[in-house]
Amino acid sequence: MAAFTAGGADERLAYRGPIQQLLTRPEIGALLGLAGVWLLFWLTSEAFGTAGGTANFLDVAALLGIMAVPVALLMIGGEFDLSSGAMTGATAIFVILMSREVGELGGAGFSLHLAVPLSLCFALAIGWFNGTLVERTSLPSFIVTLGTFFILIGAKLGFGKLFTNKVIVEGLDEAQGYAFWDDIFGAEWIRNQHIWDGRDWAWAGLLVLAGVALLLGLLEMSYTRRPDPPSWASPGAFAGAVATPLFGFVMLLTTDGSASNWLWGAVITVGTLAGVAIWCSARYEPVQRHRGALDSRSLRMIGIGIGAVVVAVVLALVMDATNSDQLGFLGGGLGRVIFAIGIAATGVLAALAATGHVRSSAPVIGVIVALLPAISFMMTIQAARALLFGGLAVAGVVALMLVTARADLSLWLPMATAAIVAVAAFVVQAESASRKLRVELFSVLLLIALALAATAVARALAQRRTTAVPVPQMGMWPRVALTAGGAAAVVFAVIELIDGDGLLYALSTGAAKGGAIALGIFAVGTFYRLLFSSDEGMGRPLVTVGLTAAGLALAVKLMFITTLEEEATQAVTRFRVSVLFYLLFAAAGAWVLAKTRFGSWTFAVGGNKDAARSVGVPAARTKTTLFMLVSVCAWVAGMLIAFRLNSVQANVGDGNEFRYIIVAVVGGNLLTGGYGSAIGAGIGALIWGMISQGIGFARWNTDWRFLVLGGLLVVAVIVNNYVRQRAERSQSARGDPDDEDADGPDPPVPAESADDAAPVGGES
Amino acid sequence: MSDSLIELRGISKFYGNIIALTGVSTTVNPGEVTCVLGDNGAGKSTFIKILAGVHQHDEGQLLLEGEEVTFSSPRAALAAGIATVYQDLAMVPLMSVWRNFFLGAEPTRGFGPFRQIDIEKAKQIAKEQLAEMGIDIRDTEQPVGTLSGGERQSVAIARASYFGARVLILDEPTSALGVKQSGVVLRRIVEARDRGLAVIFITHNPNHAYPVGDRFVILNRGHSMGNFAKQDISQAELTQMMAGGAELEALQHELATH
Repeated sequence: MAAFTAGGADERLAYRGPIQQLLTRPEIGALLGLAGVWLLFWLTSEAFGTAGGTANFLDVAALLGIMAVPVALLMIGGEFDLSSGAMTGATAIFVILMSREVGELGGAGFSLHLAVPLSLCFALAIGWFNGTLVERTSLPSFIVTLGTFFILIGAKLGFGKLFTNKVIVEGLDEAQGYAFWDDIFGAEWIRNQHIWDGRDWAWAGLLVLAGVALLLGLLEMSYTRRPDPPSWASPGAFAGAVATPLFGFVMLLTTDGSASNWLWGAVITVGTLAGVAIWCSARYEPVQRHRGALDSRSLRMIGIGIGAVVVAVVLALVMDATNSDQLGFLGGGLGRVIFAIGIAATGVLAALAATGHVRSSAPVIGVIVALLPAISFMMTIQAARALLFGGLAVAGVVALMLVTARADLSLWLPMATAAIVAVAAFVVQAESASRKLRVELFSVLLLIALALAATAVARALAQRRTTAVPVPQMGMWPRVALTAGGAAAVVFAVIELIDGDGLLYALSTGAAKGGAIALGIFAVGTFYRLLFSSDEGMGRPLVTVGLTAAGLALAVKLMFITTLEEEATQAVTRFRVSVLFYLLFAAAGAWVLAKTRFGSWTFAVGGNKDAARSVGVPAARTKTTLFMLVSVCAWVAGMLIAFRLNSVQANVGDGNEFRYIIVAVVGGNLLTGGYGSAIGAGIGALIWGMISQGIGFARWNTDWRFLVLGGLLVVAVIVNNYVRQRAERSQSARGDPDDEDADGPDPPVPAESADDAAPVGGES
Repeated sequence: MSDSLIELRGISKFYGNIIALTGVSTTVNPGEVTCVLGDNGAGKSTFIKILAGVHQHDEGQLLLEGEEVTFSSPRAALAAGIATVYQDLAMVPLMSVWRNFFLGAEPTRGFGPFRQIDIEKAKQIAKEQLAEMGIDIRDTEQPVGTLSGGERQSVAIARASYFGARVLILDEPTSALGVKQSGVVLRRIVEARDRGLAVIFITHNPNHAYPVGDRFVILNRGHSMGNFAKQDISQAELTQMMAGGAELEALQHELATH
């Protein structure tokens, strides 16, 4: 019929740029929330953004995330597991009871080499029990796993007291084989012991690589390639674009004087912008300019945007990181009056809304008023200013960018925005009292300004892409990278093993070094193909390289310490092995969902179980496997808890099941099944960890912790929901308008009466 | 008659004391459309479910190429080349077109724990197969829920025929569709027949059944009202029999007197 391009791309589909594509992902809401929460606490607290603070919230996030990922998978598959929280504690208690010495009332006294695998079998059995019971009885999994939940709670307490006479079981470290298993489940990375003075160079270099790759990747994805680019142009522009800022950057790092900082800053800026300009004009189709007009609405938005940025800068000036006083202006009688007014207003407005006199969202106003005293007592002045600053700055820049996109103003407005941000950066640097704002916020703002300016230059020069990006043809590069990286990983792991480091340490070190080598080769291949081939699909590999390099840079910064820092600090920063499991599980979950048959089946049984079964998907087996996956992860979490504390209380983990579910929902998973993301659940766990730890770091009143968590979760879910609806609308908007019944699924047809009497279950 | 692809002899099905189907007989041949007609509650769905392996018959014989068989599961029926397109289309609305197309039979590459779906191949095949049926899907990544009813029927039919179905059972494919879309689906049925498939077309609309059918089985309250070749019956007779003949006349009389 028609010729097909590889990958099923269709020329009638309007190409959506990389940003728009990102906006339709299920986890986008969580991702934005993550950025916002991190920014808030980073601005508010001195310690939050440091390696120590990161280790702190990562630890909370990891234990949560290890469970949230499989719980999200199960939710996508359309089921819940309320026993998942209790199960983590149960496996921990099980392994201690099995391994404790036989005393008068002691445990079984097995070696851990037996007890740990045994506890895995125990977990698998619970998962199988849950899954099979749900499948066989067709009862809601809520009810079935609620039963398991109570059984586990009872068993934990009962067996614990039966064997040890206490509500806490202890003494894991006395068991046989403890050292071996502690190497795996109790492993830690103590940052203070890993001194690397070249760290800052590695970190900076990786960041530059990430920046270059991401910028070029976005350009490649957004703009149309020239059919006949001059052969020198790409390599030449690339060399110029990279060399100038790199040179400036190196000079910036090696010189300390503030005068030369200015100079090298200018060199970086001019070099980058010139490089982008040459790159775009040599490589992409020139833009067909159709200048948009500035209507009054756009003008108003420009005004609002500039105003917001200016106020944000003023706020930043008065921000002082050591200011930890509570706002606290609404205590006592005044607070009580406002609280009472808020509650009364909520009630009255709710009644009015129910009778249709005011809009149904009106009671929210009352709720906000009622919460004012709480907010004033919970937050520090610093936090309030940080919130305002962050909100205003982001809103201002977004408003300006939106005007640019709408009115198609090619150059001057984005450039002006960039200039405003840059000026803001310098004002902050000159006036601010805290070092963090002076140095870090300054650099970040400058980088943002540079990125805005670069985008503006590109938009002014290059023609927007209208067709989909083809699949990249990477030739032999991925294979070479994987082979070399894999071989290196094995070699490094063996070396570490011979050195007598633990198994887990050896494996992860090997994987990290091998991964870095693979990334290096892949990056070289990507840039080579970008510059010397006519392949148009290089945007995706570039973004991959950029994101990996950025992640690696972060890891380098977090995991190593320089001599100077080591001498200056007394605090010991430890990253527990749980973080490794967390990252691993999130990645594995994402891969399984997107790429494997099991992932497809998970979506299918959650989306429409009968349909899935009738086309041959083993629905019962899929669901049971999902339940068992949850229990395996609960086992891992349980082992991590047990080997961390060496003693476990009977109620450990109880009640966490709701946290897992909430975190999964925050991550963009649908409560009704059939839609969601494992990465999203991982991000949700990170948000939870940041909030619950950040409140302490920011020296807010921790009495209010759950109020903040609850509030932010509600907000996250609403944002998520909004984003998903937008995504679905943009997808269904592509449906054929002239089909008479294009809207939504068919109405349900009443089933035939006799067939309804069919017995349930038994087949498949 | 042993050269029939499927032959049913006196098939019956009981759910406890409810007689869902008794004594239904018919034959299904390649390149023919066998229409099963009946009003709501006539036992059409039970009939399909026996052929599709969802339920098993309690009496009578089910012959596949002359050999007596019982399909113990939907998988077994599928393996014998009997594909069913249900009323609800057996599709997952939130999943993309290509994932739905290959659901349960995804092409894979790699081995062991690294086996993964060959996504590019799956997308391309889905697109080609759909184009062959005359359905031009813009983007196989788009969720099935965003397709129109007729498009979804067509995807389901294309899927069944791609996976080597010899017998295609269509459960009320036109009941929820408008006139134009019904026409599209009827054309698909004829196309499938012309490619040598045996089609079993379940419907309660004789106007849709008569133009495409070669053989008609009429069910009423679980009983078979007969098994006719096209030349033995007219459309009017078909309608008459389906609605229970005399009852309809009585109704007409009753309405006329008001």
